[in-house]
Amino acid sequence: MEDLIAGLVAISDPQLLVILFAATLAGVIIGALPGLNATTGAALLLPFTITMDPIPAIAVLTTIYCSATFAGAITAILINTPGTSASATTCLDGYPMAQRGEAGRALGMATVSSTFGGIVSVVCLMAAAPMMARMAYNFAPPEYFALTVFGLSMLATIGDGSPIKNLIAGALGVLAATVGKDLLTTVERFTFGMSEMTEGIGFVPVMIGLFGISELLVQADRLSVERQQVKMDAIKLPSLADYKKVWKTILRSSGIGTFIGILPAEGATVASMIGYNEARRWSKTPEEFGKGAIEGIAGSEAANNAATGGAMVPTLALGIPGSPTAAVILAGLMIHGLQPGPTMFTQQAEFAYAIFWSMMFVNVLFIFVGLFGAKLFARITFVPIPVLWPIVFTFSIVGAYALDQSFLDVWIAIGAGFLGYFMRRFGYSVVPLAIGLILGGMLEKRLGQSLIMLDDQWWLMLTRPLCIVFFALTFLALFGPAIWRRLFTQRDPLKSMGE
Amino acid sequence: MSRYLVPVGLIVFCGLTYWQSTQFDRVPPILLRGMQPADFPQMVLLLIVGLCAILLFQAWRGGPPKPTVDDGPEDIAQAMSPSVWKTMGLFIIFAAIAPIDLFLGLGVFALCLTAVWGERRIWALLLVSTIAPLLIFFLFDQVFEIRFPRGLLTNLWYG
Repeated sequence: MEDLIAGLVAISDPQLLVILFAATLAGVIIGALPGLNATTGAALLLPFTITMDPIPAIAVLTTIYCSATFAGAITAILINTPGTSASATTCLDGYPMAQRGEAGRALGMATVSSTFGGIVSVVCLMAAAPMMARMAYNFAPPEYFALTVFGLSMLATIGDGSPIKNLIAGALGVLAATVGKDLLTTVERFTFGMSEMTEGIGFVPVMIGLFGISELLVQADRLSVERQQVKMDAIKLPSLADYKKVWKTILRSSGIGTFIGILPAEGATVASMIGYNEARRWSKTPEEFGKGAIEGIAGSEAANNAATGGAMVPTLALGIPGSPTAAVILAGLMIHGLQPGPTMFTQQAEFAYAIFWSMMFVNVLFIFVGLFGAKLFARITFVPIPVLWPIVFTFSIVGAYALDQSFLDVWIAIGAGFLGYFMRRFGYSVVPLAIGLILGGMLEKRLGQSLIMLDDQWWLMLTRPLCIVFFALTFLALFGPAIWRRLFTQRDPLKSMGE
Repeated sequence: MSRYLVPVGLIVFCGLTYWQSTQFDRVPPILLRGMQPADFPQMVLLLIVGLCAILLFQAWRGGPPKPTVDDGPEDIAQAMSPSVWKTMGLFIIFAAIAPIDLFLGLGVFALCLTAVWGERRIWALLLVSTIAPLLIFFLFDQVFEIRFPRGLLTNLWYG
């Protein structure tokens, strides 16, 4: 309780509140700009936080995460283009509503659902993260190793691409993390005699390249896309009848979003899809979905914002990112010398709770930002791409240079950008590569420590109950979907009869 | 074709990297705690090769469905548009100018990129090539106290 209050006091600093307000506006603008999303925004703004103290620095990143996710709904409803992939399902009902003159009502519902989903998830975060951290307090290196393996195995299910390709990308990230001096033996690896490489490949330039510069090349392919805005007079808060219709949906989606967010590597996109599907499944009028059902907007938006708080649970409590943007935030924590994990809630409890409160503050702020700024932010979507992206590039390059003030980082960012572009072109997601790079160092360190602890008898890990649980979860994450499909197919009576 | 090309290319890359890893210094057994420095990267490389072999097997058997760009419906076989090629070409110009002056390189790149992407309005060209880089330079120099490499233009400020 003391820590909770100390955290609240820490963010009550007026200067910090102003910074958070500015970050909220920046996040909403980022979410509304074409091609930019929460992950890219956090990666681009990461260098800005270097000189800040840890609390404002990480609070800014989490604020960008929450507000950019929320802003995706504005463009989804008004121009049928999801500002972020997490708002793709919001388009399905938001845009039809806007077309029939109910844009204000749709945006009002999106704002309220987002706020509620976000607040529910932060409350869960406040309760679950310290609990999870307490559970993890007695973890030894083998348990941490098994947990990291489980976290990496969840990369298989990121996006709708091939799980094998996701795992290859993740493994390439882990391989990239081995560049530099080996922590246990201090032997240099893959440095090719370059002293700048001794410390390894920096997270920041790689993130900027993978998420920022690769997107610039993707945008070069989409210059001809036209965007048309639907007219909107003013945002309208939902009526009592609307609330009666959607309160169960909002509650359900908030729970779904928080749970999906907690799963390592799964983020707001998956949450919104499941939230939307469940809203349709439980609806009394499922036939209205896709034609402008207000429950569809509530289901999607409550879930995707709830996932932001959920994703921070494993990130802060275990050091395993709960989503791509959480991976960037994790990189931010490491840059500031903070160690995510159980010790965060004992040695840096004030910091952890300050981050929770800042997320709560931002979620409340959405109501005002949504009410007064939605119309303005929708116009931001129309910033011409040929003007926007060259400026983003300048930011990217200067940001990549800024951390270590090294020109090598500029080339690494550009190289990562090209790599990211071609990966995306060939159906490989860049997210597993980024997460692999972050977790790779931890994985090797924990494996090395486990081997020392177990006297090189690695198979003794299989005698430790928690390790068995994590390895079983890894097996399920990797093979569960295939086994499920096979079982389902075999039991389908129509298919077995050849019909 | 790309379904075979990428996994095969990755296997070749892994082979070369594996060979490179055999050149790492080894820790004498008496001092060794845990793994040799090459062990972990070699395990990861073998994992990648194994996963690539599965991809090749899947491609040979004809399933699963063709992969797509992660957030769009484009087919991977679709040719890259001319604007992508031109954009990539501009990176060569940036690489040539940036060592002379980082901000000169950024300004020239931004100007050319905006023009190549079809923007002809003077204010837009001026904004991306001059005003934005200048603002970003002063933001990082004055607020974040980042020292940029000396060059043709930055010397005007640093003296």
